[in-house]
Amino acid sequence: MELDTRVTGIKGKTEQRTQFWKRFKKQKTLHLFVGLGMIFLLVFAYTPMFGILMAFKQYSISTGIKGIFTSEWVGLKHFKEFFNDYQFGTIVRNTLALSLLKILFAFPAPILLAILLSEVKNLKFKRFVQTISYLPHFISWVVVAGIAFAFLSTDIGMVNRALLGLGIIDKPLDILTNPKYFWGLATGSAVWKEMGWWTIIFLAAIAGINPSLYEAAQIDGAGRLARIRHITFPGMKGTIVVVLILTIGSILGGGLVGSNFEQAFLFGNSINNPTSEIVQTYAFKVGLRDGRFSYAAAIDLIQSVISVILIFSSNYIAKRTSGSSLF
Amino acid sequence: MQLSQKQKDRIMDTMIYALLAILTLSMLYPFYYVLILSFNKGTDSLLGGVYLWPRTFSFENYARFLDDPHWYRAFLVTIMRTLAGTALGVLFTCLVAYGLSHRDLLFRKGYFTVIIFAMYFSGGLIPYYVVLRSLGLLNTFGVYVIPSMLSTFFLLIAISFFQEIPSELKESAYMDGATELVIFYRIILPVSMPLIATMSLFLGVGQWNSWLDSAYFVQSEGLRTLAFRMMEVINKSNAPMDAIAVANSASAGVTSYSLQVAAMVISIAPIVCVYPFLQRFFIQGIMLGSVKG
Repeated sequence: MELDTRVTGIKGKTEQRTQFWKRFKKQKTLHLFVGLGMIFLLVFAYTPMFGILMAFKQYSISTGIKGIFTSEWVGLKHFKEFFNDYQFGTIVRNTLALSLLKILFAFPAPILLAILLSEVKNLKFKRFVQTISYLPHFISWVVVAGIAFAFLSTDIGMVNRALLGLGIIDKPLDILTNPKYFWGLATGSAVWKEMGWWTIIFLAAIAGINPSLYEAAQIDGAGRLARIRHITFPGMKGTIVVVLILTIGSILGGGLVGSNFEQAFLFGNSINNPTSEIVQTYAFKVGLRDGRFSYAAAIDLIQSVISVILIFSSNYIAKRTSGSSLF
Repeated sequence: MQLSQKQKDRIMDTMIYALLAILTLSMLYPFYYVLILSFNKGTDSLLGGVYLWPRTFSFENYARFLDDPHWYRAFLVTIMRTLAGTALGVLFTCLVAYGLSHRDLLFRKGYFTVIIFAMYFSGGLIPYYVVLRSLGLLNTFGVYVIPSMLSTFFLLIAISFFQEIPSELKESAYMDGATELVIFYRIILPVSMPLIATMSLFLGVGQWNSWLDSAYFVQSEGLRTLAFRMMEVINKSNAPMDAIAVANSASAGVTSYSLQVAAMVISIAPIVCVYPFLQRFFIQGIMLGSVKG
């Protein structure tokens, strides 16, 4: 036996090569299937990645794809231009503020809801609450904005009408247009829309906790809050860390609770622009609307690079401090 | 007064139930409100005060929706893109996944690296736009369905699903001399209905709700989607505009606002209809999604 393998090992190469071709030929249809997928990714995912080059060039849209490679290098010109833009400060502030608010409010909300639901013993009620709570997740942001309009607009908004009618306010609240309400509006609607959806994963974590832990705690005389703090919460920790890393990595785009871009685009208007203009809406406007492709690509790139740094660093910190991590 | 543990528990229970009830109401009522508003006469809605039931019941908003060429056309485009986009997405993703589900496939690791990398990094909107432009996809119906043909997320899910299919099923077909393509659609697809249902529902809802691609890549009015049309109305009405202006555009008791509300209900309705089915599958979907991370 040992001799045999040694012999095949010696005459290896050519035989291996013919075997390789035999195998490849046998699998050729499968490679065709997979190859189609690879071509798709090459065209729609990898070509745009090379397209990032245009951020360092003076690209003109009329030159097509080839122009990305042939256009003139300008180094960091577009990046410098963005840093010197008079709106730069506000745009960055708004992007960071929205992201931070979402981590502070929209991220813990589903954890709290999951804990509350886990304390409900009436299964029918629990199911009902859950079923309703993830309905908004499947509704388009456009419809959410439409609903917000129906409730909050100054002229036909139901909330304003009701408050005026009751005499609680004497002037309609301009929640949809006043710059000072935009961050709250964006955070609140994100919580409303995505809270129930992310509760699913936290409830699953709670369901995985060994019930005998609760029984033991009860015998030891632990109250309800003590049980939540010492059993439920630690049992969810791994999931919380993973979701937090995912949230932080994608936070500039809106995290897991919906897209900052869609919100800023739909809830943003000329009046609340000082607080609603974010990096993505700005890049969209200067890029696709004004046709300054290289400049917009540079702005986009800054955001992507920061996002990549965020996900790797949060992953690293999570690994160091809690032992849970994504990769 | 010292409360006993039991009393404390009861107080907390009451608080939890009350809190959850308020929360549920805050998520349910907005949908209900939009629904009754859509069945209320448009000009009457502007007066306010409709809370629980339509005051002047009317089908006029829906009738006008179907009559209005803009809305009706957008409605048809949305239905078509949802059907075509979902079918293409499911078929293509499954086909590629079928190839990759063979554990002995050559270069399998390489293929996976290409997929995972594409999942985490992207070139961003602007270079993507340039690519679509060079492909001649801008301003075509194709831009709604072709770039979304392959979902890397569902690709990974489909691969693991296909790997669970007993290999005996395929082997007997190989014996009979069936080609891979025949095995794929005669054997693999029929036994993968739970997977196909999940994918269809998620891709379908995504297609149905989508408006960004219409805003980014389409200028032609005839190709607008329902969600895009609603976005247009919202953008117009967010700019300071009073009820009088809205009412001015009214005819037969229908206002541009009540038309919008009817459109919203039409956009929500199919989702609520597939919701019971979605629910059965999406728990498993989000779990897999979290594992992928």
